[in-house]
Amino acid sequence: MSDVLTRNEPIPATPFVAEGVTISLAAPMQRYSLRARSAQALETLLNVKVPKKIGATESGIACLGPDEWLFRGEASAAMPTGAGLPVAITDVSERSICLVIEGRGAAELLMSGCPLDLDNFAVGRATRTIYETVEVIIIRDAEDRFQVEVWRSFAPWLLAALTTAASH
Amino acid sequence: MSGYRLDSGGRIDRSQRIEFTFDGKTYRGFAGDTLASALLASGVMLFGRSFKYHRPRGLIAAGSEEPNALVSVNRGPGRFTPNLRATGVEIHDGLNAVSQNRWPSLKHDVVAINDRLGMFFPAGFYNKTFMWPRSFWDKLYEPVIRKLAGLGEAPTAEDPDTYAATYAHCDLLIVGAGPAGIDAALEAMGSNKRVILIDEQDELGGGALADPALWPWLERSVMALNDAPNVTILTRTTAFGYYHDNFIGMGERLTDHLPDAADTPREKLWRVRAGEVVLAQGAIERPLVFDGNDTPGVMLSSAARVYANRYGIAVGKSVALMASHDSGWHDIFALAKAGVGIAAIIDVRDVVDPGLIKQAAELGITVKVGHSVIGVNGRHAVKAIEIAHNDGTGIRTIACDALLMAGGWTPSVHLWSHSKGTLKWRDDLGAYLPDQPNENARCVGACSGDWDFGKGAVIDMLPAPMDPTRAKAFVDFQNDVTAKDIKLAVREGFRSIEHIKRYTTNGMATDQGKTSNLNGLQIASTALAKPVTDIGLTSFRPPYTPQTFGALAGHAKGELFQPTRTTNVDSWAAENGADFELVAQWRRARYFPKAGEDMHAAVNRECVAVRSSLGIFDASTLGKIEVVGPDAAEFLNRMYTNPWKALEPGRCRYGLLLKEDGFITDDGVSARLAPDRFHLTTTTGGAARVLNMMEDYLQTEWPGLNVWLTSTTEQYAVIALQGPNARKVLEPLVEGIDLSAEAFPHMAIREGTICGIPTRLFRVSFTGELGFEINVPTAYGRTVWERLMAEGAQHDITPYGTEAMHVLRAEKGFIIVGQDTDGTVTPYDAGLDWAVGKKKPDFVGRRSLARPDIIAPGRKQLVGLLTDDPNIVLEEGSQIVAEPNQPIPMTMIGHVTSSYWSEALGRSIAMALVAGGQSMMGDTLFIPMPGKTHTAKVSGMVFYDPEGARLNV
Repeated sequence: MSDVLTRNEPIPATPFVAEGVTISLAAPMQRYSLRARSAQALETLLNVKVPKKIGATESGIACLGPDEWLFRGEASAAMPTGAGLPVAITDVSERSICLVIEGRGAAELLMSGCPLDLDNFAVGRATRTIYETVEVIIIRDAEDRFQVEVWRSFAPWLLAALTTAASH
Repeated sequence: MSGYRLDSGGRIDRSQRIEFTFDGKTYRGFAGDTLASALLASGVMLFGRSFKYHRPRGLIAAGSEEPNALVSVNRGPGRFTPNLRATGVEIHDGLNAVSQNRWPSLKHDVVAINDRLGMFFPAGFYNKTFMWPRSFWDKLYEPVIRKLAGLGEAPTAEDPDTYAATYAHCDLLIVGAGPAGIDAALEAMGSNKRVILIDEQDELGGGALADPALWPWLERSVMALNDAPNVTILTRTTAFGYYHDNFIGMGERLTDHLPDAADTPREKLWRVRAGEVVLAQGAIERPLVFDGNDTPGVMLSSAARVYANRYGIAVGKSVALMASHDSGWHDIFALAKAGVGIAAIIDVRDVVDPGLIKQAAELGITVKVGHSVIGVNGRHAVKAIEIAHNDGTGIRTIACDALLMAGGWTPSVHLWSHSKGTLKWRDDLGAYLPDQPNENARCVGACSGDWDFGKGAVIDMLPAPMDPTRAKAFVDFQNDVTAKDIKLAVREGFRSIEHIKRYTTNGMATDQGKTSNLNGLQIASTALAKPVTDIGLTSFRPPYTPQTFGALAGHAKGELFQPTRTTNVDSWAAENGADFELVAQWRRARYFPKAGEDMHAAVNRECVAVRSSLGIFDASTLGKIEVVGPDAAEFLNRMYTNPWKALEPGRCRYGLLLKEDGFITDDGVSARLAPDRFHLTTTTGGAARVLNMMEDYLQTEWPGLNVWLTSTTEQYAVIALQGPNARKVLEPLVEGIDLSAEAFPHMAIREGTICGIPTRLFRVSFTGELGFEINVPTAYGRTVWERLMAEGAQHDITPYGTEAMHVLRAEKGFIIVGQDTDGTVTPYDAGLDWAVGKKKPDFVGRRSLARPDIIAPGRKQLVGLLTDDPNIVLEEGSQIVAEPNQPIPMTMIGHVTSSYWSEALGRSIAMALVAGGQSMMGDTLFIPMPGKTHTAKVSGMVFYDPEGARLNV
């Protein structure tokens, strides 16, 4: 029944297109916040390889901190609850949306408000950072393609800020 | 009319004529001119009036150190910029500039009377004179002084311009593109370093722009740098501040020099993180201190050379030089070569390099060594100078229309000092030079003292035979500080330059003492008979030159100023006429007025609907934290005041959170989903704060606990369905949950689906009615809301906003943390004793609850207040007194925290914090409000359905 119900996204589905860069809304996905004292604890539970280095990504799992990972996968992806184990698996699928920023001007656009040195941000890397005052998670898919995860209620502001910067 | 355009020379484009206005009069210049050079070429000498004495002032400099020629530029409504240095304003067709600090006109300024009365305005004058009577300060003294003293007028209209901003990273940032900066860039050109080279002027070159011999080199270098892929060049860009870890703030001026800026940003803020910083800011020539040194036509010697060689302008027909430094001689030779008439060279030194004297002789220039200028004739322009032997004899007059000052050089160590690099004093240069770096930075060229300007003598003032108390020898031109002001400060006991600066205002204002600091130091040093290094040095602070607020704000204006967070249901509320309010960063529906309804009527209707049938409310903004792990219950037990370990899965509990000081900081209802999983809620405004506080305890106090916290505020849209018909509406939509009162009691949680969407369904109530809070994945919030609206239509389902929510909760005596508490309220003060686990060994804040002042009687306690006149709704925040006839100021024993009209009760209700309130039940208190003092009786806080019968149905 749920598929006949309408999802309401905080920003338009139509991509924003400017010289050298497009910004589009990624399709809905399943997201889980994974917490544990070690990557091994999660590997045992999930039976997948879990990245151990902060910033690294493997099997759709990004290591964001010493005890924190983010899984992003297809909308149907399921995850065990980890009940009783010293881990915490929390569904955060709808907490954020993802903006895909693509084109030769993608890195420059992000750097209009993100203080990271994206010239030295390797493809495949993921990190939690900010765009001006708003928290985001940036994942670099390719030289000219980034995914930017942002909490839903901040998405209209972020999109407006990015499109304004792009028009400059 | 003294300055004029030379027949040839300069970097201006004589084929491009430009027309602009200054004080309403039309002038012409050429492309490449600044406002200063174009006016100078037109013979304008008078550029402004000084800050305090309103003395007529002309150009001193040709660069950003200019202290006098401050103008306002008007680019149309909202586009008025005051206090721009004329030397940095590039002219364009239609430029509209006006002078400042004069009335009615620059030439005839009424307040110039201050100058005649100058002896009555010594340093510290305002502080000394307008101390008394105190009450005159705000209404009379300060407004009048502010009107008379001061610089350009602040604009009042909203700025319609847009501003860009960015971060940037580089391996090498070079600040200043004079020869030293360009050399540094050329050196890095072949490397793999990312290089950014900036300069505040419109073209690269710095000092080389005034030296035609260097132009071929400059052209080659600039071309090479432009072609270098690893070099980014930014002109019209000022590095205004140097912050920690090689973080540099820079402002790039994009459109002010253009006649038509179209729709592009006016300026761009660059926030640069650099691997290494090379400072090549150059040096600033120092004026000399003597009577009349601020007369229009007296200027820095190097500036005259810039005007001649860069702009093709003679600053006068007959130019004299007063030097204590060789560099001035070279400037004069350059002027002579460019065809400018020279009156004389006067040098305070007894002995000057014979080579210079020979060269002067060859050019036929009169030379007076061991002499000084002791006076300047002319008020609005130099007419002649008086000179004398340094021993005071041999006074004579020399006719001239411009006098140049060559007082030596001050390296620009501003940014170096921002970065906390140390300085060392060089006696021979009379200047501070960069010493040890604090960041990965180095100074090159003149700002490191590496210059080829020759030698000079370091003096505080020129010797003069006259009464020094009559001399108007200016040290700080912009702030009207004279040598005698500094001496007065020393006589009055000031010893440190920091104090002398503040007392005299030397080195303050927009130029930050670029031309005055060192002369001020030397004068203080002489007056105190102490070496300069014993007097100290004032701090250099950002910005290097004034920056616009627009550039600093960057994108952060209008709707981008800060995010307005909205819920998934917000769009429905907007389409249905909601009136909104901001709660923290969230936009929330306050009430839903129907046609003709005011807020009062709408809120009454919404409240009645909830009590009589059914209301629906968007509670999505409530903070939510998922607490997961084997130690989750133990963790919550330590955080909250009440016990959590025994809470069964499927049940909810009200949690009260204290800070370590024992005062309430947040509250909320939380649910246990599983033995190791809790769904917490916090107040809307407290969400981030509570998560941070909990993380803080978890990471620092109890790192051994196996529990993790995840913000889920935005994972769920939350729809509160409240009212006697709530269950009836849910029944056909919910699957997998037995909604009956027996199976699903008050304060319970169940998981199932609603409209096929997974839900965490809470049975909770903030209204006192049968209530549910439906949590669904956020994207479906609006859809589920609309299904509920459709299903609830048969029960006249009524959307209600935060205002009705406040009334409904107050009728039940539920507190709102932050409204009914203020950071000094304990659980006992709030009447929440029941929420404190008496048997718990510990929780955050427990120890503080035993402190003597916390358990002492007479603390302010939360109580109900019922006005004797039921129609009076007290003003929230009203003060409460026990005895209305006591003398003023009265003893205030508390204040009203919440106050509403209750339609359900047909009267007003209020909550208040009252000293000893809990033992005053039934007592009458007095609430003075505008026009009348009201009476009210102290009551309990539960005004409606005290038995809770409506809840358990």
